[in-house]
Amino acid sequence: MDILSSFYGGLLVVLEPQNLMYCFAGVFLGTFIGVLPGIGSLAAIAMILPLTFYLEPTSALVMIAGVYYGAEYGGSIASILMNIPGTPAASITCIDGYPLARKGRAGVALFSTATASFGGGIIGMIVMAALSPSLATLALSFGPADYFAVILLGLVAASAVANGGALRGISMVVAGLMLGTIGIDLTTGDLRYTMGIPELRDGVHIVIVAMGLFGVTELIVSIKANVGGKSTQKIDYADFYPSKQEWKSLFAPILRGGSIGSFFGALPGTGQTIAAAIAYAVEKRVSPQRKDFGTGVLPGVAVPEAANNSATQTAFIPTLTLGVPGSPPMALVIGALMIHGITPGPRLLVEQPNLFWGLVASFLIGNVMLLVLNIPLIGLWVRLLQIPYKYMYPTIIVLICMGVYSLNNNVFDIWLTLVIGAAGYVMRLFKFEPAPLLIGFVLGPIMEEQLRRAMLLSRGDPMVFLERPISATLLAITALILIGASFAAFRSYRMTRNQT
Amino acid sequence: MKLTRRTFVAASLMCTTLLSAPVAMAEPGAWSDEPVRIVVTFPPGGTSDLVARLVAQYLDTEFGQKAVVDNRPGAAGTVAADYVATQPADGTTFILANNAPFTIAPTRFQTIPYEPVEGFTHVAYIGASAPGLFVQPGLGITSVDDYLAYAKENPPTYGSSGVGSISHILGEAVNAKLDIETIHVPYQGSAPAIQDFRAGVLDTFYDMVVQNSDMIEDKEAVAIAIASPERNPELPDVPTFAEQGYDVVIENWVGLSAPAGLDPAVADQVNETVLAVFALPEVQQRLTDLGITHTAMSVGDYTTFVEEQIDVWKPLIISAGIAE
Repeated sequence: MDILSSFYGGLLVVLEPQNLMYCFAGVFLGTFIGVLPGIGSLAAIAMILPLTFYLEPTSALVMIAGVYYGAEYGGSIASILMNIPGTPAASITCIDGYPLARKGRAGVALFSTATASFGGGIIGMIVMAALSPSLATLALSFGPADYFAVILLGLVAASAVANGGALRGISMVVAGLMLGTIGIDLTTGDLRYTMGIPELRDGVHIVIVAMGLFGVTELIVSIKANVGGKSTQKIDYADFYPSKQEWKSLFAPILRGGSIGSFFGALPGTGQTIAAAIAYAVEKRVSPQRKDFGTGVLPGVAVPEAANNSATQTAFIPTLTLGVPGSPPMALVIGALMIHGITPGPRLLVEQPNLFWGLVASFLIGNVMLLVLNIPLIGLWVRLLQIPYKYMYPTIIVLICMGVYSLNNNVFDIWLTLVIGAAGYVMRLFKFEPAPLLIGFVLGPIMEEQLRRAMLLSRGDPMVFLERPISATLLAITALILIGASFAAFRSYRMTRNQT
Repeated sequence: MKLTRRTFVAASLMCTTLLSAPVAMAEPGAWSDEPVRIVVTFPPGGTSDLVARLVAQYLDTEFGQKAVVDNRPGAAGTVAADYVATQPADGTTFILANNAPFTIAPTRFQTIPYEPVEGFTHVAYIGASAPGLFVQPGLGITSVDDYLAYAKENPPTYGSSGVGSISHILGEAVNAKLDIETIHVPYQGSAPAIQDFRAGVLDTFYDMVVQNSDMIEDKEAVAIAIASPERNPELPDVPTFAEQGYDVVIENWVGLSAPAGLDPAVADQVNETVLAVFALPEVQQRLTDLGITHTAMSVGDYTTFVEEQIDVWKPLIISAGIAE
């Protein structure tokens, strides 16, 4: 009852005309920037940050949040239409989204992501309203050993993401892990694989890998396939809405994706990309359509979008209640609040209830706006596909370069993206898929960091992983999955042998 | 005022001084028709970024000098410094200078692509914030002597913002001064280190003191010493290392520097304008909130300061074992 009345109070705050306006402005701007490849929520929030100095703190926060989830939603549009992830998290949406577009079902895919985003957003909002204090406590009780265990679980689940056989999948995960080791070793400060290039000291940025592997590779492939330079996409305008059966098949994935996303969003330091990757990997194990994942199925786009959007919202939990920014955009949020003299932390919920509940309620309003804004636009987005390729490709490559350049304002990053894109093309020729590489790349560094930190803290005693209840439970689940997988592999091997 | 002989002499003397040093009395005001860029060595959101945005905002509102913040993070600030050093010295490009590229990188890395002193026109000093040592309240440690006694018996873990960060260098400087061995646990920035400290997995951590005043007030952490020369007026109860008999002074300073060869008249004008911005009460308040103590310095003083700081930090970096 207490939550409901607080939520109602928050709703009254958001429904003030100025807050409604800033919420809409944020969502609109966010979607637009999210569509642009490579320019993600961080750049979008950084752009509007100076503007928020002049606003009421609640309006500022509501607008920043709108930009944040707007951009994360917008990121899926280019992923589906052109295989170019607008944000790193949206690269997971590419895996099934782009094949859907190739089948002429881009409209349905966009419709599903809009719905999934909405569903994920609502789940994230409910989690934030109901569980903020307890999730904050949970995040606090998560030590390095527990982080390691949960990421390991995710990685093991993710090794199932590949379609082209286990060996290919694992080799791509390993390649991703290796790519992730480039840069300064966090624990010792030593340089690893930087080859004397100062730009590599900080490692390879996730946007560069995602842009290169998905965007640039796709361009090379498409140019070869469409020498004529004309668009060949057929669009069935009648076919924008999922069938009744497809609707039903989306409900459970959205619920699962939203829950997984909420969890990872609330864990500082993980974020939407990890949430989307793990949610997709889990869905690929449990979905009735798991065999077709990667070839263009609707749950394959709905799950990462739901996870992504709910994670975006629950990321505010540690930020506001602990003062711990879970991601770089959240560091900006803390900066924006500090400009207004508000220090995020355990006391914020008590001292600034209007701010907190206003934000929670704005998630409801903002997500409705996102839905209302985007469903009518689907037709317009899909029409983009009819632009002849000879105009489309140069535009895309310019947008990719701009997006990558905007990361650090450094030309080196553009060259690196092109190199990774070319490497991705070679991998494509040999039927290696980019998704497992990306997942290894996203999860590897954080797993290594937490493993080494846990070992430092335990003064070199590996038993710490089994002594902590959270980590021990997660490791046990991981072991069960591995045993189950090897058992299944062994059985199918025996079956094929008996048949011959 | 009655015009006596003495005041007349004093007044005429003042006039001569004013006339002979017209440059030093540059008027605060816009110096470029084009918007100036303040390059920040960190991604958006940190203290450096907030200071740069503060300067940019007030340059515009107070003096009509348009200014934008340009974040170019990477390679411990050397990417941004290298970039600014190679820009034209026309008064439109500045770097929000700090320890990372100017006092740490020259000693830490074998080669850096710029000259920290000659490669820049160091224009205006802004201020400094001081890190300190925080320990778990449960350990019952309230002074550096307590900490020394504890650490001799049970080598504690300490969290830092990363290898080569100011908090790491301070941690190693304290270890050397106290002649103790501790376990360094590096993080990516102070936020995750504080999270682990709150979760109880870290015994101690080093970070900027004023930014964590909430934790001190809430008794979630005990700040046993701050590495500034004097106590911070915001937290008068936190003693310095020096007053407890351990001479450790490490400060995280920020300033504004331009590419080498900036016209001295422009440099002075920028200096005056920036000082005028930091003299505004509301800007002072924002700096205090960020834990930064502002000091006014002339162009010459600031240049000497940067030079001296490189020598101050050199032995600290070498003894921390992070020099390449």
